[in-house]
Amino acid sequence: MTDGSETKRLPHVARWGRRLAAMTWKEVLQLSRDLPLLLFLLYSFSIAVFVSGVGITMQLRNANLLVHDADHSQSSRELIHRFQAPYFHFSGEISDARQALRELDRGRAMLLLDIPPRFHEALVSGERTAVQLLVDTSNAPQGFSAAGYSVRIAGAFGAQIGLASIGLSGNAKQSLPIIESAHRVWFNPNQDETWFQSMSNVLRMITLFGVLLPAAALVREKERGTIEQLLVSPLSPFQIMFSKILAMAGIILIATCLAVYGVLQPVFHVPMKGADGLFFALTALHIFTTAGLGLVAATVARNQAQVGMMTLFLVGPMMLLSGITSPFESMPEWVQTVMTFSPLKYYIDVTYGVMLKGAGLDVLWKPAGAMLFLGGTLFLFGMWRFRRQFE
Amino acid sequence: MKLRVIRTMALKEWKETTRDRPFLLLAFLLPVLWLTVFGYGLVLDVENIPFAVVDRDHSAMSREYIYRFIQSRYFSFRGYAADEHALDRLLTETKIRAALVVPERFEEQLAAGEPVAVQTLLDGTFPLHTDIAKGYVIAINQAFTEERLIDYIRRYRGLTYEQASRIVRPLAVEVRYLYNEEVRSAWSMVPGLLMFTMMLASSLLTALGVVREKETGSIYNIYSSTVSRAEFLSGKLLPYVAISMINVCVLWLMAVTMFHVPFKGSFLFFFSASILFILCTTGIGLLISLLVQTQMAALIITMVVAMIPTILFSGLLVPVASLSQGAQVQAHLLPAMYYTNIVRGSFLKGVGADVLWSDLLALALFAAAMSAVTYQLFSKRPKT
Repeated sequence: MTDGSETKRLPHVARWGRRLAAMTWKEVLQLSRDLPLLLFLLYSFSIAVFVSGVGITMQLRNANLLVHDADHSQSSRELIHRFQAPYFHFSGEISDARQALRELDRGRAMLLLDIPPRFHEALVSGERTAVQLLVDTSNAPQGFSAAGYSVRIAGAFGAQIGLASIGLSGNAKQSLPIIESAHRVWFNPNQDETWFQSMSNVLRMITLFGVLLPAAALVREKERGTIEQLLVSPLSPFQIMFSKILAMAGIILIATCLAVYGVLQPVFHVPMKGADGLFFALTALHIFTTAGLGLVAATVARNQAQVGMMTLFLVGPMMLLSGITSPFESMPEWVQTVMTFSPLKYYIDVTYGVMLKGAGLDVLWKPAGAMLFLGGTLFLFGMWRFRRQFE
Repeated sequence: MKLRVIRTMALKEWKETTRDRPFLLLAFLLPVLWLTVFGYGLVLDVENIPFAVVDRDHSAMSREYIYRFIQSRYFSFRGYAADEHALDRLLTETKIRAALVVPERFEEQLAAGEPVAVQTLLDGTFPLHTDIAKGYVIAINQAFTEERLIDYIRRYRGLTYEQASRIVRPLAVEVRYLYNEEVRSAWSMVPGLLMFTMMLASSLLTALGVVREKETGSIYNIYSSTVSRAEFLSGKLLPYVAISMINVCVLWLMAVTMFHVPFKGSFLFFFSASILFILCTTGIGLLISLLVQTQMAALIITMVVAMIPTILFSGLLVPVASLSQGAQVQAHLLPAMYYTNIVRGSFLKGVGADVLWSDLLALALFAAAMSAVTYQLFSKRPKT
């Protein structure tokens, strides 16, 4: 019995499936023989996730504060003392205001607190007084945030001294009409930024690889001409395209497993409040959607250089505007509209929803449906273009 | 090294690039489109935080208090909720990111001069936004408290409004914003984005340079020719450096004319620093191109190497001072951070080589190191 006759006896569906499996295996083999790429994939889903988790906080941290204290009194010292870690980092006193400006120019300090002479005297005698604060706003959000903290610190300090002067104290259990802010933070009670940063880096990696790997795999066949061989083989265009998605999605899913069970959970203790299965099913859907995007780009491009520029063009805005690097709700209307086409936007809701909020499909059916619709449309469009190019 | 040979090599590379029309178009279009999209679209200020309220007091004062939040541009009111269970669901479904629970006897207690605790529920999935939202809540509470205190002191001590407010608010902070006086996001973002765009676009341009020849086999023409290693590599780099420099000038023009970012520094200094930076980024692309065997690997590695650290460790979003030790080391190893300092310094601070010489030196060292490493790695007699 030869292999050929055996294949003939198989029912149609099984033969179709075997061809798809063979093509998928070919893609896996081809990728696994690219050692630098494989090593890099491993690095991106392990060490890179770890570094971004421990390394970055976007919250105001260690803003370097210089002080020019012309008073040197008890009050001025107490005020300076209130600018504390982790928000501020006291980087010394300076005697000359002009020298302080140079330090700001150099970027060695972010803030300069200038306390006037007679500061203490004015405060205790019930006069109004003011301190000056110079803020480097070449990084606007950070500077603005630092100024906000400073104003709050000085306000609380002033109110305490003022009230004490008439025999009232804000600290003691004395009765004063004060609104106390009681915060309860949900889903991440300690506001642990390592969770957020490490998770969002995994999202970035999945998206980047999800677009680029299948796109490059398809264009490579076009560029080298091996696509002609595939087209004369008994494979349908669907099988050629879908096998690439299957192979790449499988590899990225394994890498995601590594990131979740190898870094996120054991190292950073990121919870998985929802179902693991749901998370990976929706991750697969996300990869399918981004791969659809990549395949459309691949049908437009003629060589890998073009596809590289094209994916960069698509992925860049997705990374910065979908809501992991910048707050989605404060984006301009048109950006929010354009970003309804970004699969990453929905996947962000899904990931944080399943992992941190324990949401199920009953809550997440909307983003999941959007991803399915987007992925399906992109894939069909890519198929249509692919067929038209070669038939 | 013969200049004539370099010119020929560069010309060959230039023709190859310019004859690939879509690629050439993208090479020039990508930076321009990116700066337009990000410059107008990337907003980092946290605003319009969707929130809901449970008002258990239903008094005039609780309504006045809640109104402070409703009219603030930082919050976007999504309606009243019946109880905390309803808030629970709204938070899980991400319909709201914050919620306010005003307790019973809110007005009564404040009028009697007793403290009241107002509960705020915050969605902690985005810690930075949570932190900022918390700050807004505290600021609104502080302002409202001050008014209640002034009121209270006036009534019980018989003081005028002026006297009472001097007691509650004796200390003012005069804030002066330097370099970006109106704290415009665009002014600090656009120079940063110029760096981001050049870092990615120019390294990707060169990333395929050598590996493409390896994959198609045309590199054997080079191996068997009289072209030396240095001539080959400089010929490869030149066209892409030229394209990138044109892009820098276009982006600079866009920043100044479209986004009205002031350029306070010296153009000559900025231009020469940009050349050094371009040499670094194209060098990174070329290095990756030499190390890998397939274009696919070159594309992906360049994108990950160029994109992720540039978003995270360059000072674009997070100042390097607030990174952890390990991340700071990584920031110092890459050219993006130095160029960010130079771009922001040249645009907003108006400082030049006297202040930024160390960044310039770092870029020069990096560029030199890149050329040395690529020269060492490229061999006309490959082992495989």
